[in-house]
Amino acid sequence: MTDLPGAEAGAEDLVRAAPTAPLGPRSGDGRRRLRDALMAYLFLLPALVTFAVFAYYPLYRLFWYATHRQPRFRNRPPTYVGFSQLWDSLTSRDFAQGLLHSATFMLYTVPLGLVLGVVLAVAAHRRLRGIKVFQTIFSSTVATSVAVASVVFFTLVNPEVGYFRNVTWLSLNDPTSAMFAVSLSSVWQNLGLTFIVVLAALQAVPEELNEAALLDGFGPVRRFFRVTVPLISPALLFLAIVLVIHALQAYAQIEILTGGGPAGSTETLLYKIADPKNIRSLDLKAGLSIGLFVLTGLVAFVQYTLLSRRVHYGD
Amino acid sequence: MSGVTFQQVTKRFGDVVAVDQLTLDVLDGEFMVLLGPSGCGKSTALRMIAGLEEVSDGLLTIGDRVVNHVPPQDRDIAMVFQSYALYPHMTVARNIESPLVANKRARVDADERERRVKEAAATLGLEEYLGRKPGELSGGQRQRVALARAIVRRPEVFLMDEPLSNLDAKLRTQTRLELVELHRRLGTTFVYVTHDQVEAMTMADRIAVIADGRLQQVGAPQAVYERPANLFVAGFIGSPPMNTLRGVVSPGTPAAVTTPSGTVRVADRGTAADDTEVVAGIRPEDLSVVPPGGEGVVGRVENVELLGHERHLVVSCDGHVLVVRQDNGEPTPAVGETVTLAARPEHVHLFDPAGSGRLN
Repeated sequence: MTDLPGAEAGAEDLVRAAPTAPLGPRSGDGRRRLRDALMAYLFLLPALVTFAVFAYYPLYRLFWYATHRQPRFRNRPPTYVGFSQLWDSLTSRDFAQGLLHSATFMLYTVPLGLVLGVVLAVAAHRRLRGIKVFQTIFSSTVATSVAVASVVFFTLVNPEVGYFRNVTWLSLNDPTSAMFAVSLSSVWQNLGLTFIVVLAALQAVPEELNEAALLDGFGPVRRFFRVTVPLISPALLFLAIVLVIHALQAYAQIEILTGGGPAGSTETLLYKIADPKNIRSLDLKAGLSIGLFVLTGLVAFVQYTLLSRRVHYGD
Repeated sequence: MSGVTFQQVTKRFGDVVAVDQLTLDVLDGEFMVLLGPSGCGKSTALRMIAGLEEVSDGLLTIGDRVVNHVPPQDRDIAMVFQSYALYPHMTVARNIESPLVANKRARVDADERERRVKEAAATLGLEEYLGRKPGELSGGQRQRVALARAIVRRPEVFLMDEPLSNLDAKLRTQTRLELVELHRRLGTTFVYVTHDQVEAMTMADRIAVIADGRLQQVGAPQAVYERPANLFVAGFIGSPPMNTLRGVVSPGTPAAVTTPSGTVRVADRGTAADDTEVVAGIRPEDLSVVPPGGEGVVGRVENVELLGHERHLVVSCDGHVLVVRQDNGEPTPAVGETVTLAARPEHVHLFDPAGSGRLN
């Protein structure tokens, strides 16, 4: 921009002229508006259809099942019994126990997974010869399916022949340690994702900022917490949400490692809903699903509102 | 306050020598500009003072302390980066105070800290922006915040790595003046890195010209301009750059250099022997058009550049392109015309074409 008087006067003229200029299609042109609207809905249609088929309709059916009693004999139609049945499901022992197990699983996997991922990423974020080998090894679990990873982990903790069969705090036979063993396998499986995301975030932090912090006199620990962590906080928030959702959705590792046992001690809410042994009624499972749905939404909402205040999204 | 001394300082990155046996004395309170083209090692030299790069060889002294192995935070220096390196998640006030919070040696109590932040902000006209974050500031304001963060700790030495290169031309001129003013007021040693010779000429007490990791010349801006030590400095400092003509020193007095396109008179031939090949360097303002048939070099006018306050004649002489700076009052030759150019003999520089060193 120049500051020649002529140039400024020109700019002011433009601003003054603006309100009289047309601001879009005339409002009187109704047919055109209708056509535009139809066109817009046409473009929205594929997304709407997908959501309707895979989300809205199943959600509706969920409520339908939760409020209808399944007949004892299959040749009779289900009968409407109202929301008291849903209330019964949500206050049942199954829901409370499943919730407790899910929460335990979350508490074991999310903080540990996040911290381990950050530690590994910080360790691998160096310009050292051969560091790429470590970066590849650390991120390898991303390319491993949950089933495969769980089977591999099972060979380690198998109570009969596993390498760690004598390690009591990893025992799958003990109700007090089984959940931790399953969690540990999840932490390991999610580590690749956490590692990659944190490493990418670290690499995006400008080197000059670290140098400025070094010259300012911040030691390595304060440099990390005062400069690095705030700058990678969006990645950390993203990971926290993803890991919580992973925890709430964990199924395969539980099925493969413990099958929900011993004595139901690893039956998370989702596991009870999936109910591979088919021991619960459909209306109870529908009720539990609604509970899990509300819970997941709540967790995501709380994380966004609480954490986003402390997250820095760059300038 | 204290100066900075390089004694035979070398920096190697693997097989690449970035700084080669640099010996340079930056005096206490001096505004020293390290000038050179990109990749010449000037930034590496600055980063060695900061402690961001280790010294491979030689001695680096700040004040009377050898700092080769002193960590950056204990060197009592402040640095302004090209990208400013402000903490984007902190407010301007927190950015400025960070050296006082971070450094154990510089740490002060809360009242003193607030006072100093206000003082630094006032010095740079940032009072109303203290609550904002860097992302909400313009480039020039960010640059001031970086400066404020540097002055708040009252360091022994200020280091600046091309701090003006991200500003637009007008703001750059203004900030140049403000930096000189700041230096005058603080009286602290400034070491300033740039590739822009205008910045160097306008701000420096002394300029150190660096090329290929080696020091080419140190001196006051005017001295470096008037007596460049070698062909590199001659070509790098001055805009348009110094004209060069290859020729042979003719025997006899007064001294002259015979080139394929004519003769250039020289007041002082220095150590140039008769009949040796030399490069004659002539600044554009030391060349003038003389009547045809006079003594000088003959060439054809290729272009006339009008700059308002002066003109540049671009003249081609036997393959060499010479630029002549003319006042508006002088008669303009037409493009395509053949002209004879004469140099002021006392302002002709002679260089050795092999070693490129100065001969007179």
